[in-house]
Amino acid sequence: MERNEVELRVKKVIAEVLEMDQSKIQPEANFIFDLGADSMQSLMLVAGLEEEFNIRMDEDKALEIQSVLGAVDYVGSILAEKEHAK
Amino acid sequence: MDLRNLSGYEINMLYSQGCTADDWGAILVPRDFDTERLRNVHFSGDNILGSFRKKVLLSGGLEMPSGIYHSHIHNCSFGNDVYLNGVGLIANYDVEHDVIIENVLTLATEGMSSFGNGIDIEILNEAGGRKVKIYDRLSSQIAYFLAFYRHKTPFISGLEKMIDDRVKARTFETGRIKKFSRVTNCGKIKNVFIGEFSEIDGALKLVNGSVLSSEENPALIGAGVEAVDFIAQAGSRIENSAILNRCFVGQGVHVGRQYSAQDSAFFANSEAFHGEGCSVFAGPYTVTHHKSTLLIAGFFSFFNAGSATNQSNHMYRLGPVHQGVLERGVKTGSFSYLIWPSRIGAFTALLGKHFNNFDSSDFPFSYISEEDGKSILTPAMNLFSAGTKRDTMKWPLRDRRKGNGKLDLINFDAFSPYTVGRMLNAAAILQDMYRKTPKEEKTVPYKGIEINRLMLRTSARYYEMGVKVFMGQCLVEQIEKTGAKVLDELNTAEAFTGSEVMEVWNDIAGLLAPVSEVNRLVDAVSFGEINRIEILEDKLKLIWQSYQENKWQWCLRLIKKRCALSRENLTPGYLAGLIRDWRTEAVKLNNMILKDAMREFDEISKIGYGIDGSMDEDFLAVRGSCEENSFIGQLKEENAQIEERALKALSILESHIESVHA
Repeated sequence: MERNEVELRVKKVIAEVLEMDQSKIQPEANFIFDLGADSMQSLMLVAGLEEEFNIRMDEDKALEIQSVLGAVDYVGSILAEKEHAK
Repeated sequence: MDLRNLSGYEINMLYSQGCTADDWGAILVPRDFDTERLRNVHFSGDNILGSFRKKVLLSGGLEMPSGIYHSHIHNCSFGNDVYLNGVGLIANYDVEHDVIIENVLTLATEGMSSFGNGIDIEILNEAGGRKVKIYDRLSSQIAYFLAFYRHKTPFISGLEKMIDDRVKARTFETGRIKKFSRVTNCGKIKNVFIGEFSEIDGALKLVNGSVLSSEENPALIGAGVEAVDFIAQAGSRIENSAILNRCFVGQGVHVGRQYSAQDSAFFANSEAFHGEGCSVFAGPYTVTHHKSTLLIAGFFSFFNAGSATNQSNHMYRLGPVHQGVLERGVKTGSFSYLIWPSRIGAFTALLGKHFNNFDSSDFPFSYISEEDGKSILTPAMNLFSAGTKRDTMKWPLRDRRKGNGKLDLINFDAFSPYTVGRMLNAAAILQDMYRKTPKEEKTVPYKGIEINRLMLRTSARYYEMGVKVFMGQCLVEQIEKTGAKVLDELNTAEAFTGSEVMEVWNDIAGLLAPVSEVNRLVDAVSFGEINRIEILEDKLKLIWQSYQENKWQWCLRLIKKRCALSRENLTPGYLAGLIRDWRTEAVKLNNMILKDAMREFDEISKIGYGIDGSMDEDFLAVRGSCEENSFIGQLKEENAQIEERALKALSILESHIESVHA
C-alpha cells in the first residue's frame, strides 16, 4: 500500500475516533498535546487502526506512538511485514 | 482481693477530706487502703475501692498520685491504682486497675445493657430488609452473609441465633472499664463498654456502644465525637466531631473530620472523613476522604471515592429502596454520580454522571465514562492503569491491624479466580458481540451501558492477556513450590474436553472463595452443624487459608480446559509455552502500566510548575524524576524478576524432559 494511502486512512481513523475534522489533522500532530487524545481514545485508536488495516498491533509498541506520522510509519511497517510474509 | 469495711478513724479522715457517703458501711476497701488518696468524693450505693500506690502520668507530663478526687461514685468497683478526678457521676461500672478517668460529666450504665451488641442496622437497603446485627467480633464476611443471604432463611436464622447467644453473654447491669484505659474530658457516656488500653478523649456523647481495644491495637475515640448504638473495634480511631448512629467501625478503621454516618458498617482499614454515609456496607479498605461525598445504600470494598461522589437510592415511587454494588477495587472520579440500582465490575474506574441503571459486573478492570449523557464502558482498560497496580501493591502494606486477631479475612490478589473467571466470560461475550455487530454501529448496548464497537475485539484480547498472566503466574508459583511434580498433578486427574465449566468464585467482602466452599458452610449453619459463632469464624479462616491451594486447583482446571487435550498431550513443552506466554504478556502488561505511570512526568503534568523560574527545574525539585520514582522502579524490578523466574521454571521443566529422555 502506498504511504499516501496509509496516511489518509490513518487520518480517517483518527478523525472518527477523536470526532474531529480530518482536514485539520496535521501529520506531525501529537496525539495527546495537539489532538487531545486521552488514554481511552489511545486504545480506541489502536483498535480502529487494527480494524481499518486488518492488522494486529503490539499494544506495548502501539502506545509508544506519539504522533500521526509515527502511526503512519508503524502501520506501514506492519503492512510491509505482512506483504513480505505472503 | 481481701476486703474490709472502713474503720471509724478512716471515715473521720475521709470526712475531714470532704468525702461523704449515703452509707459508709456500703464501702469495701483492701487491707492496705490509704485514705490520703480520696478527696471530695461522694459515695452512694455499694462500692469497692482498690489500693492506691502508684503515680499516674497525665497530659503535659504531670504526675499525680493515683486516687479518687472530686467525683461522685455510685455502685462501682475499682481495681488498684486508678485515678479519678472531676467525674460528675460514675455509676454501675467495674473499673479495672490503672485506669484514668478525668473531667467527665457522666459515665453510667443504666439497666441491663448489651453495650451496642445486637443492634440491627439497616445496611444497603435504607428502607430495610438486609439488617445486619452488629456485635463485638463481627467480621466483614459475617456481615456480608447477613446482608446478602437473606433469601437463605434457615441460614440467616442459624446465624442470627449464634449472634444472639453471643450478645446475651455480653449483656450486663454493670459496665466495664478495662485496664490501662483513659477516659478524659468527655460529656455523657452511657452504657458503653470501654476496652483495655483504649483512649476516649473529648467525646461529647457516647451511648450504648463498645470500644474494643488491646495493647497491640488500641482504640481511640477523640474530640467532639457523638456515637449512639455503635461498636468500635480494636485499632479503630473515631475523632474530630464524627457523628455515628447505629454504626459498626471495624479494626484499623479511621473515621473523623466531621464525618457522619447512619446504619453503616466500615470494615478493616477503611477511612471515612468529611462526608456522609447512609446504609453503607463499607467493606475492607473503603476510602472516602472528601466533603460533599455521600455514600448511600451501597456495597463497597477496596473503594476510593472521589470528591463529591454521590448516588441516589430513591426513585420517588416506593421510598429509598434501591441499592448499589461496587465490586472490589472500584474508583469514582470527582463529581461522579450513580443512580441505584447499578452494579459496577471489580477494579473499574468510573467518571462522570450516570442517569441510567446498568450492570457492568461481567467486565472487571474497565473504565466507565459519560459521553453526552450516555454511559460508556471501555472493557479491560483499567488493566493498564498505574493506579490499579499501585493500589494492589499498597493495600497489603497499609494493613493497620496488628497481631493474630484479625477478624476480616482478606485476599489481596487483583488476578484471582474471581476476577479471571470474569475475564474469561467477558472475552467470550465481547467476541460474540463483535461477530454479531455490523461495522456501521458505533456502540453496542449491554445491560444498560454502551460499549464502543471498536473496543469489542481489542478488549477481548486484553482480557486474554490477563488470563495468560494469571495462568503463567500460578504455574510458575507452583513449579517454584513443587518443581516438576506439577506435571504429575496435571496428568493424574481426569482428561478434559474443553467444554468443562469453570467454578465461579465469590468475593465475600474481602475473602475470595469458591462458591461451593461457601455453600458448604451455609448448609452447615442451616442444618445446625455449626452452632457457635466461633466455629463459623474458624471455618471461614480455613477457607481463607486454603486460598493458594484452591487458586492453584482452579488454575489447573483452566489449563486443562484450555488445552482441551488428552492427558498425554499435556507435556512439559505445553507448560513451557504457557510460561513463555506469561513472560511475554506479564512484561508487556507491566510496560503498558509503566507508560501510564510515565504520563505523570510528561509535559502536561508540568503545567503550573516553574511559574517563577524553570518549569523543568521546579518539577524536578518537587516531583522528582521518572527514573527515581519508586513505583516505576518497582515495576522495572518486577519485570526483571519475571524474566528470572520464567527462566528458572523453564529450566526445571527442561531438566525434567532430559531426565525422562535419559
